[in-house]
Amino acid sequence: MKKIYLASAAALALSASGALADGHIAHIFPVGEGDFNWDSYTAYADAFDLSGQELTITGPWTGADAELVNSVLDYFESATGATVQYSGSDNFEQDIVIATQAGSAPNIAVFPQPGLMTDLASRGALTPLAPETADWIRANYAAGDSWVSLGTAVGADGTEGLYGFFYKVDLKSLVWYSPEAFDEAGYDIPETMEDLLALNDQIVADGATPWCIGLGSGGATGWPATDWVEDIMLRTQSPEVYDAWVSNEIPFNAPEVINAIETFGVFARNGDYVNGGVEAVSATDFRESPLGLFTFPAECYMHRQASFIPTFFPEDADADFFYFPAFEGEDLGSPVLGAGTLFGITQDSEAAQAFMAFLQTEISHEVWMAQSGFLTPHSGVNSELFASDTLRQMNDILLGATTFRFDASDLMPSEIGQGIFWSGMVDYVGGEDAASVAGRIQDRWAEIQ
Amino acid sequence: MSPVLQGIITIVVGVGGCVGYFYFANLFLDKVLFPAKGTNAGRNINRANMIRPWVFLFPAIFALGLYLMYPVVGSFFRSMYDRAGTEFVGAGNYVRLFNNPDFRQAFLNNILWALVVPAVTTFMGLLIAQLTDRLKWGNIAKSIIFMPMAISFVGASLIWKFVYAQDPDLGIINAIATSFGADPVDPLQIPFWNNFLLMVILIWIQTGFSMVILSAALRGVPEETIEAAIIDGANPFQVFFKIKVPQIIGTIVVVWTTITILVLKVFDIVYTMTGGNYGTEILPSFMMDFMFRDDGQATAVAFVIMLVVLPVMIWNIVQARKEMR
Repeated sequence: MKKIYLASAAALALSASGALADGHIAHIFPVGEGDFNWDSYTAYADAFDLSGQELTITGPWTGADAELVNSVLDYFESATGATVQYSGSDNFEQDIVIATQAGSAPNIAVFPQPGLMTDLASRGALTPLAPETADWIRANYAAGDSWVSLGTAVGADGTEGLYGFFYKVDLKSLVWYSPEAFDEAGYDIPETMEDLLALNDQIVADGATPWCIGLGSGGATGWPATDWVEDIMLRTQSPEVYDAWVSNEIPFNAPEVINAIETFGVFARNGDYVNGGVEAVSATDFRESPLGLFTFPAECYMHRQASFIPTFFPEDADADFFYFPAFEGEDLGSPVLGAGTLFGITQDSEAAQAFMAFLQTEISHEVWMAQSGFLTPHSGVNSELFASDTLRQMNDILLGATTFRFDASDLMPSEIGQGIFWSGMVDYVGGEDAASVAGRIQDRWAEIQ
Repeated sequence: MSPVLQGIITIVVGVGGCVGYFYFANLFLDKVLFPAKGTNAGRNINRANMIRPWVFLFPAIFALGLYLMYPVVGSFFRSMYDRAGTEFVGAGNYVRLFNNPDFRQAFLNNILWALVVPAVTTFMGLLIAQLTDRLKWGNIAKSIIFMPMAISFVGASLIWKFVYAQDPDLGIINAIATSFGADPVDPLQIPFWNNFLLMVILIWIQTGFSMVILSAALRGVPEETIEAAIIDGANPFQVFFKIKVPQIIGTIVVVWTTITILVLKVFDIVYTMTGGNYGTEILPSFMMDFMFRDDGQATAVAFVIMLVVLPVMIWNIVQARKEMR
């Protein structure tokens, strides 16, 4: 019996090492072909040799996104000889906290928002990035300073440092529509918020419904509404007021914020404006909500959602987007709301440090952007490589914004931004008064300070 | 190291360690500590036999202490520290909880759950057990009612999400309502009553459990007592309520309390159906709100849950013991 065990164990060990020794990784884009910055790849490969080392990465990307990130990691593996284990989790936010507290953290964690990252940094769970990284970001990222400050946190020792490296950015200020449906009804793309409000009424007058809004997202129900409020904040207040709101220098129930919530209510609390009536707004899952754009006749004409949403469109859907417009009367330029993922080191190692350098190569951005759903502030990449014109246009919005601000709810303490702000918006859509919702959120915020 | 090898080594070390512990502890006791020879042989044998059970029990007691007592005591201390666990705040977390209207709502909802679900489940179980007892197809009916027990809470919630869906093409409630010309509503957004719609799911899952136990108990009622009652002219209702129920009251209480404990722990249903929105928050889903954010508050909620469960648990154990006698 014992012999059989040993033999099979040995066989398993052999086959495992055999698979690794093979070392032949099928790259999605063959090295040296196409207009990629292959120089950045070869220069990186020459500089780093991590043969036999292992690197573990945990992140929020699962399914199709996990395949995409793995296609990028393939290049890191072949350049350095290291093996990378990426595991994605739908409950990343909770898993990473447990893993760091249990001492079983991966080498690198991919944070979907800076709030959690700063939290972990303050508990001493993160290793600061190499000192020259901040300068690199300032030199190579559009609006580099803002990315550096978003990635900066105060460590357990009380000193400030750069802990997070932004890679893959999402653009939020987008309104999705079906060009076919717009053409047929003869609607023009609204250039200003005033036009958009007029379009709402015109669509209603034509006997149709302007918007599909869905706030449902399981335990996270309500988050899409927070994006609406943030986008409207940027369109009704100066960026300074927005920043003061994020840091609670002005209270959550300040008139500026209540006004933004109520402006969102103009869209979401009007039964004529939303598909399925007001009740459907919080009951509909955000992934299903855009489907109404593509039915015939169209259940709705517009859907405000971030750049990731086409993942949930029907396969043959013909969709386009326009910039969620600013009020002409407010004179605040063209503000853009966005978000992004940051990489942080949760378990330092030579390979982890080398990986952060890999993220600074053009090729690590280009591989993903040439496939789908990837925007980057990296100014050195070849923008011809974007998989579609849509993506290129989005990146242009990102690079051409007069104001760029990060998703406020992601910057607030997680208890607010990923808790009561969400449920508060559900209550607001359900009929509660904006001032009392905002007051409750402010009370909770005051408690944790 | 290959995971298979790791697993095998773990098993060998684990099992070997256990056997080794008992063997060598025994040996040590009999040969070294109290050897059964020499002048004190008799006294030594007695002493060894007095200590032996404790030596054998030690691993179990140690494990219970480590995995049961330590977390309880540790949680209690943890609940008296602030969100990061650095500053002692005494009862501060509890004071804050009871001042929080959301907590009070969750607490009241939980009480509602604890009152309604066990009562309805036990009653339905008893009713079905009695009604299907003499039927030819009773066993088939019982199997069908028992089936939801096999479904996970999240799975059951998803099924009921379709039942309650606002879209009349999916949700049966709205299908019926709209066929009478009413506007479709989202049943889960009707305040207060939505709590009961969520409870229905748990009742649907648990009725099978209470039915099986109570059906066994009903069959255990001695035939003579029933026959005597019938001869004395009792009608079926009297037979049921005055003869059968009093004889199985112990089982009913055990079923009742078992389900009460389950209700106080239930979390998945609320989390998947409403995420605690629309006033359906209960204590465990409220705790989830603070988990990974404010450890002090979260453990305080956990402790409140434990305090509420504890009396029911003790009552349950007392009743189960009575049953066994």
